[in-house]
This record gives sequence, structure tokens and C-alpha cells, in this order.
Amino acid sequence: MKLSHLFASPPSTYASRRQFLQQAGSGCGMLALAALLEQQGLLSSTAGAASNDALLNPMAPRPAHFDAKAKNVIWLFMNGGPSQVDTWDYKPELEKRDGQDLPGFDKNTGFFTEQVGPLMKSPFKFQQHGQTGTWASEIFPNLAKHVDDMAFIYSCFTKTNNHSPALFEINTGMSRMGFPCMGAWVTYGLGTVNQNLPGFITMYDTLGRGLPKGHAQNWGAGFLPGVFQGTALNAQGAPINNLYRRADMTDEQQLAQLDLLRRLNKHQPQAQEADLAARIESFELAYRMQMAAPEALNIDSEPAHIRQLYGIDDPKCTHFAKQVLTARRLVERGVRFVQIYSGGMENERSWDGHANIGQNHTQFAGETDVPIAGLLTDLKQRGLLESTLVICNGEFGRLPIVQKGGTGRDHNPHAFTTWLAGGGAKAGARYGQTDEIGHKAVTDRVSINDLHATILHLLGIDHERLTYRSNGRDFRLTDVAGRVVKGVVA
Amino acid sequence: MTFDPGFLCKRFAVVLVTLVSSSAFAADVPADHAAQMARSTELFKNHVRGLLTAHCLKCHGGEKTKGEFDLSTREGLLKGGEQGPAVIVGKPQESLLVRLIRHEDEPNMPEDAAKLSDEAIEQISAWIASGAAYDKPLVDTAEAFTAKTVSAKDRQFWSFQPLSRPTVPVVKNETWCRTSIDHFVLARLENKDLAANGPVDRRKLIRRAYFDLIGLPPTVVEVEAFLSDQSSDAYDRLIDRLLASPHYGERWARHWLDLARFAESHGYEQDYDRPSAYHYRDFIIRALNEDMPYDRFVKLQLAGDEFEPENNLALMATGFLGAGTHATQITANQVEKERYDELDDMAATVGTAMLGLTVGCARCHDHKYDPIPQADYYRLVSTFTTTVRSEMELDFHPERYLEAKATFDRDHAPRVEALAKFEQEQLPSRFDGWLAQDAKAVAPKWLIADVQSTKSDGGATFTRQEDGSYLASEKNAGHDVYTFVVPTKQTMITAVRIDALAHESLPKHGPGRAPNGNFALSDFQLWAAPAGSPAPGAPVKLANANASFEQKDLPVAAAIDDGKTTAWAIDPQVGKDHAASFELEAPIKSEQGTTLTFILKFENNTGHNLGRVRLSLSGAAKPVGLDGEQQPEEKIAQVNIAIATPAAERNEKHRDVLLAWFRSHDADWKKLDGAVQDHLKQAPKPELTKVMVATEGLPAIRLHTQGADFFEKTFYLKRGDLNQKLGEAPQSFLQVLMNAPDREKHWQAPPPEGWRTSYRRRALANWITDSEAGAGNLLARVMVNRVWQHHIGRGIVATPSDFGASGERPTHPELLDYLAGQLIDGGWRLKDIHKQIMTSAVYVQSTEADPRRAGLDPENSLLWHRSRQRLEAEVIRDAMLAASGQLDERMYGPGTLDATHRRRSIYFTVKRSQLVPSMTLFDAPDSLQGLGQRAATIIAPQALAMLNSQQAQDAAKSLAKQLLPSDGATIEHAVTRGFLCTLARPADAEELAESVTFIKRATALYQSAGKSDATELSLADFCQVLLGLNEFIYID
Repeated sequence: MKLSHLFASPPSTYASRRQFLQQAGSGCGMLALAALLEQQGLLSSTAGAASNDALLNPMAPRPAHFDAKAKNVIWLFMNGGPSQVDTWDYKPELEKRDGQDLPGFDKNTGFFTEQVGPLMKSPFKFQQHGQTGTWASEIFPNLAKHVDDMAFIYSCFTKTNNHSPALFEINTGMSRMGFPCMGAWVTYGLGTVNQNLPGFITMYDTLGRGLPKGHAQNWGAGFLPGVFQGTALNAQGAPINNLYRRADMTDEQQLAQLDLLRRLNKHQPQAQEADLAARIESFELAYRMQMAAPEALNIDSEPAHIRQLYGIDDPKCTHFAKQVLTARRLVERGVRFVQIYSGGMENERSWDGHANIGQNHTQFAGETDVPIAGLLTDLKQRGLLESTLVICNGEFGRLPIVQKGGTGRDHNPHAFTTWLAGGGAKAGARYGQTDEIGHKAVTDRVSINDLHATILHLLGIDHERLTYRSNGRDFRLTDVAGRVVKGVVA
Repeated sequence: MTFDPGFLCKRFAVVLVTLVSSSAFAADVPADHAAQMARSTELFKNHVRGLLTAHCLKCHGGEKTKGEFDLSTREGLLKGGEQGPAVIVGKPQESLLVRLIRHEDEPNMPEDAAKLSDEAIEQISAWIASGAAYDKPLVDTAEAFTAKTVSAKDRQFWSFQPLSRPTVPVVKNETWCRTSIDHFVLARLENKDLAANGPVDRRKLIRRAYFDLIGLPPTVVEVEAFLSDQSSDAYDRLIDRLLASPHYGERWARHWLDLARFAESHGYEQDYDRPSAYHYRDFIIRALNEDMPYDRFVKLQLAGDEFEPENNLALMATGFLGAGTHATQITANQVEKERYDELDDMAATVGTAMLGLTVGCARCHDHKYDPIPQADYYRLVSTFTTTVRSEMELDFHPERYLEAKATFDRDHAPRVEALAKFEQEQLPSRFDGWLAQDAKAVAPKWLIADVQSTKSDGGATFTRQEDGSYLASEKNAGHDVYTFVVPTKQTMITAVRIDALAHESLPKHGPGRAPNGNFALSDFQLWAAPAGSPAPGAPVKLANANASFEQKDLPVAAAIDDGKTTAWAIDPQVGKDHAASFELEAPIKSEQGTTLTFILKFENNTGHNLGRVRLSLSGAAKPVGLDGEQQPEEKIAQVNIAIATPAAERNEKHRDVLLAWFRSHDADWKKLDGAVQDHLKQAPKPELTKVMVATEGLPAIRLHTQGADFFEKTFYLKRGDLNQKLGEAPQSFLQVLMNAPDREKHWQAPPPEGWRTSYRRRALANWITDSEAGAGNLLARVMVNRVWQHHIGRGIVATPSDFGASGERPTHPELLDYLAGQLIDGGWRLKDIHKQIMTSAVYVQSTEADPRRAGLDPENSLLWHRSRQRLEAEVIRDAMLAASGQLDERMYGPGTLDATHRRRSIYFTVKRSQLVPSMTLFDAPDSLQGLGQRAATIIAPQALAMLNSQQAQDAAKSLAKQLLPSDGATIEHAVTRGFLCTLARPADAEELAESVTFIKRATALYQSAGKSDATELSLADFCQVLLGLNEFIYID
């Protein structure tokens, strides 16, 4: 069967939005959304294939508010709350005061209000690395080699001391449930380049240790249209729902079926109207996605030296390495936003080291150090680091005091570290400080709103202009606050 | 709604710091302090207050606190913000504030505005030099905050106006019009020189009506019947039939559930299920089906428990207020914030869903666009102060219980009579005989201990049972240690005994609390102290452990060995009573009695704690086995006292004790009493079903909260900040919608004496439905607009949940008021509004559009043609099930997450962390906030689902089976029938030819691949195409 005609029909173009609306005829479709994007300067109202496309297709790529280096994002999320003082925020004073009480400590700071112990030094050794002389814990021997490419914010803080509100806050800007996450906002604003793949993909723990607290709401679209929610790759079976055609159907058979579908659809008198035409096209996109997605996710096709670079053959990090390598393949193919969760639900299944911080962080750093270092090397050697913003943090930090009954640390909303690399982040930047024991961010404090404003800025988006009206109010990722942390922008 | 919870934590820190710094300041007071401060206060009153208010306050203490700096109070000024203290009292030149306004430091202040005059800077400097005194804070005292009123001008905004009761306009083209609605629409069209379309063909019309009203496609038979009905009222009767269909409620309930952010789980950390929440969904379906007047529909959802406390339906309705999210794990410092969030959820949802007002936007400041002062918000929120999510057990079939109870009572009477007869006729003489001859001191082998105190280290709660046992409930800790203190008067103790008893409240009926009903007693210790000495005293050595049953490798001896990892357990003999006895190596002999302490440790296996425990002791000679009579020590003591009392001195109580003892050893009495007791066990119980409600005075559904479920008062919170309480907010309503001279009192009434709720929600419901002096007109406008929107494709007000200033204005204001008036005048019956809309010429017109008219009104806001609508997620799935003959029409009851179930999609359980992919794919909401209008996106994953999902394949296969040619029927026949089943029309010649070609070709392909069911497969592929057609889910 000749198949070329199936995908041969170019999208019709319209001279203006008004003309488009006339063509749209009887349907409603995406018009409201398109109008909104246009209002915010994210959708040109003048003629052009891209904008016409966007009127029909909410995922069509759109120019940002201003030129920016970052085109894609890989967000490596260390779930559970890594301890700043045991990873990147070196505190010699904490070592000196090991075992002493912390005067004036509010016992409601952490989760276990009755398990407040004295200050506890880090069980890890710290060393300076790179030209920047950046301190790094011994648990990151490989990542430490990249410190000169990273921008560190040592002064992040959050509003809540428990996992799910803090996860919601760092993902959506609000500690309450029900708001769109950053990946959703970014794809809403910018669309995505590769229409054969989802624009926003998340990956969670594949070792059966659970989803992050709050589950799929962490990559939800909230009140934004559902198309902008993250597609979580399934840990088992088809990585994307309905990706594979049924076993006894051949490609030829499915193409014949699609051909009939197209013919019958086009036979309808109003088939050229915008929404109906878009839907006809969506089947053709779906067909292509069936091939594009497995190809993009097939890490077996990577050469041995690349697999080794990510640590795929090291059993302790195989699971995470595969996801990180997948992330690179996805951004390479034009997926806008990828988020990967390291660790599962809580406690010892994630970075939530309540019982024994040494053992916990050794394990999770062991799972992530080589893969993330490999990713940075690989992005750099492919020239992708310039356009890919890599973000790494967790939902909050941990207390400098010991959690009584063990050698772990409880939650700390007052301080945690975020590092950025690539995508216009300022290599070698060191921003903000915590106090001398790493308990609270004190200098150049960076709120989650600030962090979000900065990330959007690196993507060319003005966080005050990216809005969506829901129940009568124009919402933003940054709510009513947020300032761009210029100190980490190149 | 610009609520920033974080700012609460920051504020908290601020208070602490301020205390420290002000005390430091107080320690260092100059001699002329008082005079200086007086001068400073004068400067403040005359100059500085004005300057700070005009140039600084908006960003630093008024609407915002930029840089975490709030200078509205002296404390805030001295504390400063992110950059440290703003002012050093007495040293203006070193004060950051002065450096910034002098433009000596960045950022220059005021930001983005002209520099202050030198004179102004000088005044501020002098003020700081003399002490930076305030006579009072810069902003709102509580009175200013609460005294804000809404102006007459504010009340003139269109949606706050009374209904206009318009006359029906005159039009030129009378013949086009079918109803009054049409006059309103056509008048505007004619104004623009636009003509509307004529009616759509009848096949499309019936399909449109079916999907709109019941969300299912018409069957082939129903289509044919409608087509062949030539009577003039055929269409009217069709609408009546559909409105009477129970499927109507299922279809329209979903629209309301979107607004009510309905879900069946709590969300947040654990997203625990709310297994009794589905009753709210069932209420909505039932209420719509019975055409409950909309004002009552609203009243019951707000206060069904207060209006009709005996009506199950009314209680189910209150699920509305509790449908929002609830944090499952609330830490101590978040408790109050979470409660205000929850109150906000209730108030905001009432606002958007019922009044189309974004009330929640006034939480942190006066509403930016609408006349809703912040104080109004807190007065409204105050309505819900003591409202909690709770569960009630309701009997949905009281008649069944009454009937069963009557039967039981009939059967029970003879047993009771037989016992009574025996007790009257035989027992007295036997008892007297025994008293005269055989009444001697009794000594059963086992005495059930009289426990003085219980303790569970793991936090379990013990409840004493009638038989002297203790039932554990509430927390089942991973590991637990039970401690029982038992004083005994026995002079000789040779053994003790632990009964591990079954109970219906335990998993698998126990006796353990592990999910399988097992327990694991890892260690049992007995301590003894002479009576009067402090417990526990000294440990007692135990030996010869003996149990009714021992699990393999987990013998009872393990409970008294030294190993922590060994234990006594009883699996698989769960659901039964068990017992273990332990001999004392050295018997305890004591004339004055002993205090025993039983320590039971469960440290072997997680959650394997004992569920129901009873302790006994024995003075019998060794070996002491488990056999022998077991009686409460207390009771035996009484019996023995009575026996020891000389017959002449025995009183009534002595005789009762002795009679009870005697008859319990009389075989005949035991038999007759046993018959009564055994039968009682079969007594019928009401069939109680748990229903989630929102109410007051009942225990809240409690999760992991480190604090209270609610607080007794709601406060005005300046800037929504918990640390800035401005007094208690008494209940009231939105001023702009109150037109009664006695204000809120007009709707308030105290609850009846002794009633458990506050009647505040009842007052809210009375106000919101009052079309004379309350919010009833707006309530009606918002609802008719929603009905219109779902029928027509867009609301007369295009922002259905925002009728405020930032929402859209009505395209047909008079029509909106006309419909709202119709709703109220018609007794708030929604079905009548449906019918008025659906029988209009506006509704029945075709979708045809042309460039000329599109040029004049591109967005079709004047309704010159019908806008095609895409079916919603639920209806797409339901239509596939119905068209393929798979639909299971059972209504109501618990839902499911099983993607393969075949009931209507409204019966999917809405679990917030596991939304059903086939629903969200087609824009079903996430149920976190109310939603008045869904998106209708078109994306490739939807097409993937149509191509590859199990659901699509199952539907295609099932449909194909119905079309399969039999008895000489042709492929052509199957194709035609397929079109009729899915699209309510036959295929035209070209479609038929294309389809037949495809099927034949596909059959050949499958045959060549060796498939025996090639025809079935190819027909299924064809059916899948039909289900994937635009025409199937885009309704003309």
C-alpha cells in the first residue's frame, strides 16, 4: 500500500487569528488557550506557520519572552531531602560543636518533635575541588570533578517541614495541593519541539521503593489543561500508556486502518474545520509516536563507552543510570522538560535519612554520583549542556542536630542546597550562605518562588507574565512573589 | 487567594527576634529618653506618618512585605527585613532606611519612584535620631479592618442587581422562534443583521439531545422510533423521556461534581481513601433525577444535617463541604495553618460553585476587583469554624430491619417465657435446698484478675470488657509492651494465666492485631510486691508454660525464655480463643495479699500485639493446667462473703449474689438461659452504612495530625497571617448581597436546646437561597448560566464561575435574567429550564457556518449557529461501552478503580493520587479545585488510546460481534449497522464502499497470516475506526 499520502497533507495556514477563527467554524477546541498565550506574548498574533500550528496544537513550540540559552530542562530530584551539611555545604564549625546542644532550637522545626538531639558533625570528609575550590563531601567523588561547571545556591529555604507539602511547594510553588507544577508551566509557555514525544516526562524509582509523597500530583497540571501534565514513564510494561499496538496487528494492518479512518473523517463536510482537522492529524502523530518513543527510550542502542560513563553496569546505580541516560536521549530529541526522582517514598527508601545519615547518604549518593557526573560529561561533549539546564536538589534540607535514637537527621525547612549546571547558569557561581552550622539560610536567602523565577528566566520566560486564569484569578508559578537570582545567571 | 503560607513561618521567627532586640534596647536608656520620645512622636504624627504611609507602606506592611520588611509597627521597623535592621535608633546616618532613601545604598527607595525631598529625608532622620516613636501602628487597627463597607456604587455592578424581569423582545422573523428564549437571541442577531440557522436534521438532533441530557447515544431502535414519529410534539416528548431517564442524573451529576472538587481520597502524603464519600455522588444523582428544587439542593449541601437531620439524603449531601483535600500528616507547627486552608477550601468552593464569586481572593487582602472586603471573607469563613469531616452510620433500609426485628421478637418470646417459668416454678425450691445443705465456700481453680491499671507503651487504648478481658484499639504500634497491675487478696498463688481472646473488632477476629489475626508474645514477665509496698516489686520466676495451641516453632515456652527473637504465636488458629498458663517456681504466700505486675512484650514481629487479653491466677496445687473453672476474683470474694454470713443476717444483696452463683451451676437453668442467650446472638441489627458527612459535634475523621481538628474561633487575619489576629470574626455574609436591615440576623437562628451543631451553616444556606434579601438572585443566575453553557457550548456569561468584575459580561443579559426568573418562579426546578432551552430554535439549529456571518461574529457569541461540542472523557467512554453493547447500567454504590469495569464512568473511584488515565487523557479534572468549564484538548496520546488501548479494542470487538453477518447477511449489511449503532445514521455510498473494501482487504491479510477468525478481526478493526471517527465524539 502506498502510505505517503497519509502524512502528506500540510497543515493549513491562516493569514490571521481572526481568519483562523472563521475557519474554525463550529468548533471550540483550543481557542481559549491560544488567546491566552497570545495575550502573554507567547504566541504571535501575526501570520506564520508556527503560530497557526499553536492555535491547533497546544504542544507546538513557541518562542519565549526573550532569548535565553536554556531550551530544555533535566531536573534531578533527590527525593526525601538530602542533608546540605553532608553534601555541599561544608561547615567546619559543626565539627567543632559536635555533641553540643543547640541553644534556642525550636523543637517543632523538624518532624519528630520529641527526638531533638545535640549538634552532630558530618560523618563524611570534605575536600576542595576544581579551580573554584568548591567543598564537596566524599560521597560525590565523581560529581566533585564537575564543580566548576555548577552554580550553587546554598541559601534555599522552604515553608514547610513535611514531605508532601514541601514537594508540592518545590514543584508547584504552593504547599497546598492542586497547582500546576513547573514542568507543566514550562510546556504551557513554550510547548515542545518534538511532537512525536511527550513534552514533559517524569521518571520515578524503578526499584519498587514507591513514588514521592503526593504521588502524581507532583507532576500534575493542576488547573492548566491536562495536556501539560507530566507523562510518568511506567516502571513496567509499555513505558507510555497505549504505546504499542496489539500483538496480532501488523504495521500494514494498522496503516490500512488509519487510512480508512482518515478517509471517512475527511468525507465529513466540515472536516477542514480546525478542531476536526487537528484531530485527524493527531492520529497520524500517534502513529509516529509509536515508533519515536520506543526509539528514544531504547538505551540499548547506546555504545558501550557511553553506558559505562553513566554507570549502567554498576549494580548499585543501574536503575538511576538508565533513567539519566534516557533523559539525555529525550532532551536530545527535543523533549522540553524531564524530571527524575532519586529514591522512593520516604525514610530509608529515599534520601530521608532519619535513622542513619551516613549509611543513607552513602547509599543514595552511590546510586546517583556516577550517573549524574556521566550526564554532565556527556551533555558537554555533545554540546548539549549549553541548551540544557540541569537542576539538582530535594524538597528541603536536614537539621545539623542528630535525631535522637539514631545517627540520622530530621527535616529542615530553613536551609538546603540547589545546584544548577548548563542552560545559561553561571558556571562556578556560589550564591548565598547558611549560618555557621548550616541550620538556616542567612545571607541572600532564596525562596522557592525565587528559584522558580530564576529557572523560568534561564528559559527566557518572565515569571510575572506567564499566567493562567482559573476561577477568576490569574495564577503564576511564582504566586505573588519571586525574584530572579541574578547571581547564578551567566 | 494570594495566600502565602510561608510568610507565617517567617513571621514567627520575627516575633522571637523582636523580643530579644527590644529588651537589649531597654537596657540602655538615655537620661532624656522621655523628652526625646515625645519629640519623636510629634514628628511622627505631623510628618513621618504621612511620609511612610504615602511612600513606603504599600510594599512594606500594607499590601505586601517586600524583603520581609514591615514598617507598619515600630517592632517591625526595628526588626528590619532580609537585609537586617532598618533603623538604628538615635543613629539615622547609620540606619539602612535612611541610606536607601538618600540613595547612598542600593536599592534606592522608594523603588521606581522619585527620590523623597530633602526636607522629607530630614524629617525622617530627625525622627529616627529622637527615638523613631510611633503613636500607633500605621495601618488598620481591628476597627478599621472590620468597618469597611461596600458602597452603593459597588452594589450597582450587574451581577449584584436584582433580576430585571425583562419583557420578551419583539423580532422580525417570528417564524424562526419556537420559545421566548429565541426572541431574546434573535433580537440581538437581527440587530447585527445576522440570521440564525434552521433546525438540524432529526438524526443529528436525537443524538445531540441524548448526549446532552443522558450522556449516552440513542440505540438504533430509539432512532427509528423518533424518525417515524410524525406527530408535532415528537421532539417535546423525546425531551420529556430523557429528562425522566435515571441516566439524566448520572450525566448532569458529573458537571456538578466538577464544581464540587469531588474526590474519594484525602490527597497529600498518604492520600488515604474516603470509602464513605461516594454517598455524596449518589446524592447528586438522586437529587437531579427527582428534580429536587435547586434551592433545596444547595441548602442540603451546606447544612443538610441542620435542616433535615433524620433524612439520609440530606446527610449525604453535606459531603460537599468535606470533598476537598485534607493533609493526612500535619506537623505541630502547621495545624492552625492547615485548618485555615481547609476553611478557605470550603468558603472558596461555595463562592465559585454557587455564587460565581472568587471569594477566596479576599483571604489576604480586600478583593482586588469585587466588593468583598477581607473582613467579609473571614465572617463568611466563620460559618465553618466548627465544621468537620465525619462519618455517620445510616440505615438505608430501616423497613428491612423493622421486619426482621418483628420476626425475631416473635421467635424470642417463647424462650424467655420458658426461662421465666423455670425461674418461678422450679428455681426457688432448688435454691433454698442448696442454701440449707450445700452452700459452702467456693474456690474455682482460676480467678480472673481484677486489673487496677493498664498501660501500652505503643499507644494502644484498652477497654475493659464484661468478661474481665481488655480489648486493645486505636494505635497498633510496630512493637508494644503491655503492663497490667493486679492487686489480689489471694493468700496463695501457684500459677498465672493469660487468655488471648478473639473479638470481632480485630483483624480476622484476632486474637492478635496483626493483619492475619496473629500475635507474638516475645516475653512475659511477672513481678510481685506485698500489698502496700511499691509495685512492681521483685521479678517472679516462671516455669512449665502451657498453651492451648502453639504455632510451629513459636512455642509458649519462648515467652519466658531469654531470647528476644522467640515468641508464642498461634497462626493458623486465628479467630479463636487461646490461653497459656505459667507456674510460679516458688508459690507466693501472703496473708495480706500481693500486687502482681504482668508485663507482656510484643517485640518479635511488626504489629503482632495482642488484641484482647484476660489475666487470671490460681492457687491450685501443681501441676496447674488450663482446665478447671474460671471465675472473676471479685465475684468469688462476694459469694464467699455471702456464704460466710449467717442465714439470718443475709440481706437482699447477699441473696442475689448467691442466687446468681447457684443458678449458674444448675444444669436446667443453664440450658434455658443458654437458649435465650444463643438466640439473642442472632438478633437482627440495622444494616448500617458509613456515610461521610460534614457536620459539627461529631468526631472528625482523624489522620496523622499533631494537633486539634478545628479551633473554636475564627479570627480576622490581617494579610491572611496567623500571627496578625485582629479579633474574632463573627459569622456574617457578603455585604454586597445582603439587603436586610437586620443584616445577617435576618437569616440566623439559634439551634434548638441540646442540639449538637451551631446552625451557622443553616443561616448561610438561608441567605444564599434568599432571592428577596439575600444572594438568591445571583445563585439563580449562576445556575441557569451553567445549564445553558452545557447545552449551548458556552455560557451567557463565558466565565461560569466568575460573575465578578474580572469575569466576562453576559452576552445576553436580559435572557440570563429571564431564565433566572423562570427558575425561581418555577420553584427552582431545573428540568423545566432544560426543557425550555432544548426546545428552543437556538438549541435545535444546525452547525453550518459561513464566512460572511463568521466575519461579523467570529466567536459565535450571538449564537447564529450551533457550536459543535466534543464529548467529555466520561461520555466518550460511556458512549463506547453503550454503542458496543457492553454498558452495565447498575447505578449507585461504591465505585472502583478497575479500568475494565463496565458501569458508567461516574462510578470510577476518584482517588486523587491515582486518577484514571483514560479520564484525565480527555481533560477530566484533577478534583483539587472546583472547575466550571473543562478544556477540550486534542493530543496524540488520545489517538494512541483510540488505536491501542484495551478499552478501545474491547469495545471494537464487542461491537463487531453484534454486526457479524449471519444467515447470509452481507458485509454491506454489517457496515450499515455499524454506522447506525455508532453514528445514528447509515453509511452513504462512498463510505460503504470504502468500508467494505477495507474489511475485505483486512480479512485477506488476516487470512494470509493464518488467522481463523479473520472476518471477526477485520470487522473489529473496522469498528475501531467507527469509534475513532470525529463524528463519534464531536457532536454536531
